[in-house]
Amino acid sequence: MVPMEYYLLLSAAVFCIGVFGVLTRRSALMFLMSVELMLNAAGINLVAFSWFHGNLSGQAFTLFVMALAAAEVAVGLGIILTLYRNFDDIDVTNATTMRW
Amino acid sequence: MMIEALIGVTLLSAFVVMLAPDRVAGKLAAGLSLLPVAGSLWMFGQFDGSGNALFESGTLAFETMTRWITIGPYTLNWHVGIDGISMPLVVLSTILTTLAIMSAWTPIDERESQFYALMLFMEASLLGVFTALDFFVWFVFWEFVLVPMYFLIGIWGGPRRKYAAIKFFVYTNVASLVMFIGFMALVFGLDVNTMDMPAIAQAIEAGAFTTTYGLGEETLKVVAFFAMFFGFAVKVPTVPLHTWLPDAHVQAPTPASVMLAGVLLKMGTYALLRFNFTMLPGVASDYAVLIAALAVVSVIYGAMLALAQQDLKRIVAYSSVSSMGYVILGLVAYNVYGLGGATFQMVAHGLISGLMFMCVGVIYNTAHTRMVGDLSGIADKMPVTAAVFVAAAFGYMGLPLMAGFAGELFIFLGGFSAEFAYAQLFTALAMFGIVIVAGYLLFAMQRVLFGPFSADTDYDIVPASTHDTVPIVTLVLLVIVLGTVPELFYGMIQDAVTPMVDAMASAVAPVFGGELL
Amino acid sequence: MAGALDFTPAIPLLPFASFLVALLAGYFAPKLLPKGGAIPGIVATAGSLVLSVWTFFAVSQGDYLSETLYTWVVGQDTFSLHFGVLVDPLAAMMLVIVSLVAFLVHVFSLGYMNDEGETGLPRYYAGLGLFTFSMLAFVVADNLLMAFMFFELVGLCSYLLIGFHFREQGPPSAAKKAFLVTRFGDYFFLIGVVAVFATFGTARFVATGDGAHAFPHMAEQALAAAGGEGTMPGPVADFLDVVGMSAQNWFSVVGLLVLGGVVGKSAQFPLHTWLPDAMEGPTPVSALIHAATMVAAGVYLVARMYGFYALLPTVLAIIALVGGFTALFAATMGVVKDELKQVLAYSTISQYGYMMLGLGTGGYIAATFHLMTHAFFKALLFLGAGSVIIAMHHNEDMWDMGGLREKMPVTYYTFLSGSLALAGIVPFAGFWSKDEILYEALIYGAGESPILLVAYAMGLLAVFFTGFYTFRMVFLTFHGDARSETAKDPHGVGWNVKFPLVVLGILAATVGLVNMTPVAKFTGAHIEFLKDWLAGTEGTAFSNLGYEHYHHLLVDFAGYGAADIAPYVPAAISLALALGGAGLAWVLYNVDEPVEHTEKLGGAKTVLYNNYYQDEYQVWLAEGVTLPLARAADAFDQGVVDGVVNGISSVSLFSGSRIRRIQSGVVSHYAAMLTLGLVALLVVFGVTGGWF
Repeated sequence: MVPMEYYLLLSAAVFCIGVFGVLTRRSALMFLMSVELMLNAAGINLVAFSWFHGNLSGQAFTLFVMALAAAEVAVGLGIILTLYRNFDDIDVTNATTMRW
Repeated sequence: MMIEALIGVTLLSAFVVMLAPDRVAGKLAAGLSLLPVAGSLWMFGQFDGSGNALFESGTLAFETMTRWITIGPYTLNWHVGIDGISMPLVVLSTILTTLAIMSAWTPIDERESQFYALMLFMEASLLGVFTALDFFVWFVFWEFVLVPMYFLIGIWGGPRRKYAAIKFFVYTNVASLVMFIGFMALVFGLDVNTMDMPAIAQAIEAGAFTTTYGLGEETLKVVAFFAMFFGFAVKVPTVPLHTWLPDAHVQAPTPASVMLAGVLLKMGTYALLRFNFTMLPGVASDYAVLIAALAVVSVIYGAMLALAQQDLKRIVAYSSVSSMGYVILGLVAYNVYGLGGATFQMVAHGLISGLMFMCVGVIYNTAHTRMVGDLSGIADKMPVTAAVFVAAAFGYMGLPLMAGFAGELFIFLGGFSAEFAYAQLFTALAMFGIVIVAGYLLFAMQRVLFGPFSADTDYDIVPASTHDTVPIVTLVLLVIVLGTVPELFYGMIQDAVTPMVDAMASAVAPVFGGELL
Repeated sequence: MAGALDFTPAIPLLPFASFLVALLAGYFAPKLLPKGGAIPGIVATAGSLVLSVWTFFAVSQGDYLSETLYTWVVGQDTFSLHFGVLVDPLAAMMLVIVSLVAFLVHVFSLGYMNDEGETGLPRYYAGLGLFTFSMLAFVVADNLLMAFMFFELVGLCSYLLIGFHFREQGPPSAAKKAFLVTRFGDYFFLIGVVAVFATFGTARFVATGDGAHAFPHMAEQALAAAGGEGTMPGPVADFLDVVGMSAQNWFSVVGLLVLGGVVGKSAQFPLHTWLPDAMEGPTPVSALIHAATMVAAGVYLVARMYGFYALLPTVLAIIALVGGFTALFAATMGVVKDELKQVLAYSTISQYGYMMLGLGTGGYIAATFHLMTHAFFKALLFLGAGSVIIAMHHNEDMWDMGGLREKMPVTYYTFLSGSLALAGIVPFAGFWSKDEILYEALIYGAGESPILLVAYAMGLLAVFFTGFYTFRMVFLTFHGDARSETAKDPHGVGWNVKFPLVVLGILAATVGLVNMTPVAKFTGAHIEFLKDWLAGTEGTAFSNLGYEHYHHLLVDFAGYGAADIAPYVPAAISLALALGGAGLAWVLYNVDEPVEHTEKLGGAKTVLYNNYYQDEYQVWLAEGVTLPLARAADAFDQGVVDGVVNGISSVSLFSGSRIRRIQSGVVSHYAAMLTLGLVALLVVFGVTGGWF
């Protein structure tokens, strides 16, 4: 029986890796992957609490999140393709035409 | 249902005109706008209201009241109706819109169908403002008026139209916000479950406060009064909140100026009369000296500013500030002649300032300049326009037997017998405006209309076409009719303001004990 | 059978109809308008004249009228405003004068305007019609408000007619000045009207019928009550509490306010400056303005509400002093003028000064008498001047004239009749009326009110100047050798010029006979017809409008008392002065080749020629003070008031332009901010939630 804290620590660690990726990487692809990490960290939390409380809605939500993540990847990749077409690059710091 | 029909027909006309081709839009709009004119005149003929709309004793004409929306504990009603104060303003709005549309035929030559549609849309909103008796409905119409005016200035205006349009919109909108907060503070403090204006007025009179936010009833009333006063004073406009007006007027196309000066400014004084002076007469009388001083400053300062201008439109714009100062003076006098004169002056000034702007517009259409120094002796080339201009200017100066004199005289009669301190002195000072107004208009006329002909412009000065002169001649005739037979409007106006005076008299110990003659 | 008084409202309305005809037909069908509108105008004023005479006879039968015609505003819980007709001997007399002069001016215009080929005649005749209408309506006004309204309309008409030749530079400027200066006076008048309403609740001159009140009578009651007799009318007492003044003081203030309008319209010092400029208008218009309408309106107003003024000794003294001063002041300026109409203009100011002097010194009869005689002889002089101007091809400089006596005898003899009347030479009209004014000033001054003697002295001195400038004008124009080509061969004038001249010439010579006070006193004959006419009938509502009543008020309230001085001695003095002035003119100017003797006055001439720099300081007030003030206000408005508004918007824009830099467009920055925000939130919750 793994105590609850371990799940939470794992989730926090995964989330922090995701945040770190978003903050430091410049490639849009890495962004997407980091976002996926953050989503999955939330998913781990949901599943852990669902098991802990014996309530299945958390796990159902996680399934939704996974489906959503798949959809998000589809949209995200589309955006990345457009980004590449417009800027010949997928470096997010170049695409600043929408600032002020 | 007449009011709904009136507003509905006008809105429908606006949509029809918007879809019409540019070629016919002007004539179509003028034709369709005759429907509300006919409707309002019919209503004027059938008018059977008595008393003031906000008093229990008042009977409204063409009243409808239906439950509309319920939000929390509050019920919003569709409540419209007309009393003696709003009837003249409704007639004024419809007639002036038609004439303004006619005056647009010459100067407006692009995106015509949109222009006329916006004019009609504005008319519908104005009718709403003057007839709505539920605060929510009223506020929606009040804000709606700004939208067409913003576009009218911003699209068809002069070189600095964007600046003027944004200044107009932001200034008046911020004012509305302050007013809204002030009024809502009052409403939420009261034991009412509706936004119905008569109900609110009666609740305030009965002192049915449930909370005063720890301010005490009197303080709350004062705060609300001045928040609302600020909001409406911007619209009037009262010095020192007037600076949006000259910019808006100078940049706006002539028909929009006509509507702005003729009707939009009256929304401010109408609202002051309906809200501040009807609902919170006690505060109005406590701070009468302050408000009267503001009115006098508006009159004299506005007139002095007009004296310094070279642009004919700016002259008329500043003189509107001056004339609306009289209205404030009439309101603060708080007797039958004062309040009645203020209301009458709204209509009179609406007609006369509309007329002045149209005259300037007719000159501008052919000369393409409005500067006093550029033109001289154009009476030689445009005799009818010059004659109407002279008549309009004398109307503005308050020539007897023209509407402006009646309005000003009533206000002076009211102001002089008002009961606040130094009322006589304030009135006498404000009356000096009639000398300054004569000064700047006579100077402008002498230089622009008379003397040897010369024009510093690349265009030929030719007589105005018939469709340009018809509106101005019509307005001159209306001004004379209203000045000769003021009873047309003044009877019902008096009927509507007398209850206010009576209510005030019962609240404040009367100074005039003697028998009235 | 309908009496004359049923038709009284038609007296003003007929010229109004001619105004409408000239206006509408002139615009829509100028071909159909006979003589450019002259014929409708002549017919209408002739109709008014006939009705006025009929009314005059009806009034002489003791048939007076005070009737509300139209209620302009029906007051609810407050006073109403109305138009009404008041016909009493004063109004009846004035109606005849105004309609007669207007009629003759219309006829004369045929010669002056039509025959000279002026354009814009419908506009001219429309203006004349409206002018006549306004003045006649003013004359019959039964309350102060109606009087004010038509007073203002008279001002409008003067503006339109003085500025008739609008294509030139001068007339529009003169018209503007006339309206603006009189407007300044009317400002005070309007305050006065409003104050009368606020004080008395009514502005009627006379009360007839049940429950009606007249404000002069209420003032009388109030002052009596202040003196301890009777009770003060309720509204008056209340209002006096509000203003916190005694009845006497407050009424004096009101009287002075109304007097402001009088000073403006009747061209009294210091608001006389518009009148000489008004000569820019066509000459018949000058005749109408000076003789019977606009300028007369002011004096008529004081006479109309004399029941109010007679209560107020301070105001009376001011009226007398202003009048006396104006009479002298204007007469001295008339001495040096070169243009025919300018001399007449200053004589008008001076003569109205006499009327004011008469009213101020309690000489009600004398002043109205002078109003009447002056109307005739001044109309005559202006029309005569018009005739000369036609002959001289619109050259008005007297130094280009001379010797016109032989060329235009009708004009000469009628003009001479008018000049003798103006100078006050016995037995012409002006002598009797002016002399009576001075006599009244003397006896009341020598009696109880010595201040009036100052006014008397000024008036007496002005007589000399009047005689001098009048005959200087006559001699320069008609006597001596012709000094220019046009004067050698003047343009002829037609019947339409001569007819009005002859009618007025006869009147100027004879009309003085209606009130020969010195003769009456000397012979004991009962020949003071005007005095009887204006005496007022006892026992009717109109008795308050009669001289008997005014005299009683003057004695009881204003403290006037007459000294017992025989009338012929002062008459002889003033006649001698007038003859002296005329004689001096004879010596200096009745020569073949007159020279400008006024040059010898040196610096004084410059001052006189420039009208004591009155115009300069008024123009300075307008252009040197008001305009810079307006510009300063404009700069303040643009800079400070609008500056604050624009400042607020600049602050918003500036802070916006700084804060928007956060929106760098780099996604990583947004993410960093999100994270930081989250951390910050956690910390805040942690601290406040007590985790640490």
